[in-house]
Amino acid sequence: MESSLVTLDPHFSSGADDFPALLRRKGLLASATVTPTSAVATPQQKSWQPTEATTILAFKFSGGVLVAGDRRATAGNTVVYDRADKVLEIDRHSIMAIAGVPATAWEMARVLEHSFQYFRRTQLQEMSVDGKVRALSKLLRDNFGFVMQGVGVVVPIFATYAGNSKPEARLYFYDAMGAQFEATDYAATGSGSPAVRGILYYENNWGSTPLQKTSEDEAISTALRALDTAAESDTSTGGVDRSGKIYPLIKIVSRQGIRTLPESKIAAVFKETVA
Amino acid sequence: MIEEPYRWVEAIANRREYIETQLASGSPIVALGYRDGILFLTLGQTRQKIFEIYNRIAMGAIGHPGDIERLRMAAIELASTEGFTRSAADVSLRRLVHYSLSPVMKGAFEQVYGAPYLARMLFAEIGDRPEEDLFLRVDYDGEIATNGATFAQARRDFAVLSGTRQSSELMESFLKTEHSSDAAFEATLKSGLDAWSVGNMTLQMSEAKELPERTTITKYRQEQLAKAGIEAGILERNDSQAIRYRSLLDKELRALIHE
Repeated sequence: MESSLVTLDPHFSSGADDFPALLRRKGLLASATVTPTSAVATPQQKSWQPTEATTILAFKFSGGVLVAGDRRATAGNTVVYDRADKVLEIDRHSIMAIAGVPATAWEMARVLEHSFQYFRRTQLQEMSVDGKVRALSKLLRDNFGFVMQGVGVVVPIFATYAGNSKPEARLYFYDAMGAQFEATDYAATGSGSPAVRGILYYENNWGSTPLQKTSEDEAISTALRALDTAAESDTSTGGVDRSGKIYPLIKIVSRQGIRTLPESKIAAVFKETVA
Repeated sequence: MIEEPYRWVEAIANRREYIETQLASGSPIVALGYRDGILFLTLGQTRQKIFEIYNRIAMGAIGHPGDIERLRMAAIELASTEGFTRSAADVSLRRLVHYSLSPVMKGAFEQVYGAPYLARMLFAEIGDRPEEDLFLRVDYDGEIATNGATFAQARRDFAVLSGTRQSSELMESFLKTEHSSDAAFEATLKSGLDAWSVGNMTLQMSEAKELPERTTITKYRQEQLAKAGIEAGILERNDSQAIRYRSLLDKELRALIHE
């Protein structure tokens, strides 16, 4: 280990710090400060584009919460990668799906994952749902300095399942500044999200069954159709790559934990109800 | 006075004696490697003594709660920052103990004007196979004992921690014959409870040189189980989850031992 890790701090904070604070104390986490001058939008600074080039969605169904994301990563007009994972497991019962700058988002997911574990290990109890939701909100708020500088905007969705909360399945979406919004039925963010929100709203209100009552197969089908629709008009959303056989990533969180749907299952539903 | 070398040696010897007396009443902790994992076990309900440190590492400790807490925090901080900056696979118990904890504890012990750590700790790291399980015991003076094979001992699949040397030696000699790494969970739990009984009986007797009779151990175990709760945790060998530690409830363990 590096020298900074070897020496013990004689003035132990004994767990008063949360994990991001510990990382900052050790100089392992960069933070951008928002100075009043940078907050005032000069013409040059205003030129940053909020690039959230992707589509992620999540909704509650009869078997828990389904979280899905397309696989495309873009830089401007270029497709950089067609197998990106934007749906990430944070702990046994929490999923974070990301729209925005991948470097920042994946780092944020790592910090979050370690934060929950660090809290459990040091405080000897599981972090509450509200605590987890707030932890992500705080990371986004801390990142806002970078967003103002034109890099690192992240707009995530957070889904978690807690046996001791009501309702048990919880779904949240965030804005770039860290405001958290709890969704009752569904959430979608990213550049392709307007189309997805339209579909989910329609399905939930006038579809054959409200989203919360749909079966797993129906839920998968709805998710695939929604992402395919988003990809129809949004170049930054991969949707389903029919020739390359690349399917969206779908994870389900329920009382039993997180399940990543195998590609064969998604392909089967796709073939039957979407293609 | 400390400037004179022999005074320093004397001061260290006094300090050693003082700490040994303080630790002498600590309830033993047993860590047993078995087929599906590593079981940590002790009896008592006053305060928690078995802890999760990182994905594959757990710790048991006796001593002053304040000192244990500082060392536990240090271990978690070191492992967490290492796991975050590199990867979980780079967190190693051997490095954590040899390069970080042991030097700090030795330093504190030998600075005769400062306070030493009143703690004795037992760490375990789960391997992919029982042969790869690592047990490390760190004493208040930074001394490290491992389960590895040396000239004097064969490799062991267990480790113990107790208030006195005599108590831990008897527990070890009991486990050498009673425990094997291919045992199932139930058998491991039983030999763990028996080993704890041996250790705790020894602490209460002034001069115990030999292992008590089988029936005496069983009787003592039953008496103690009626009075105190079981505290236990396991590191699972199952590699489908990254986080292997799970604490076990007194209730679920009692269902297995039928007592």
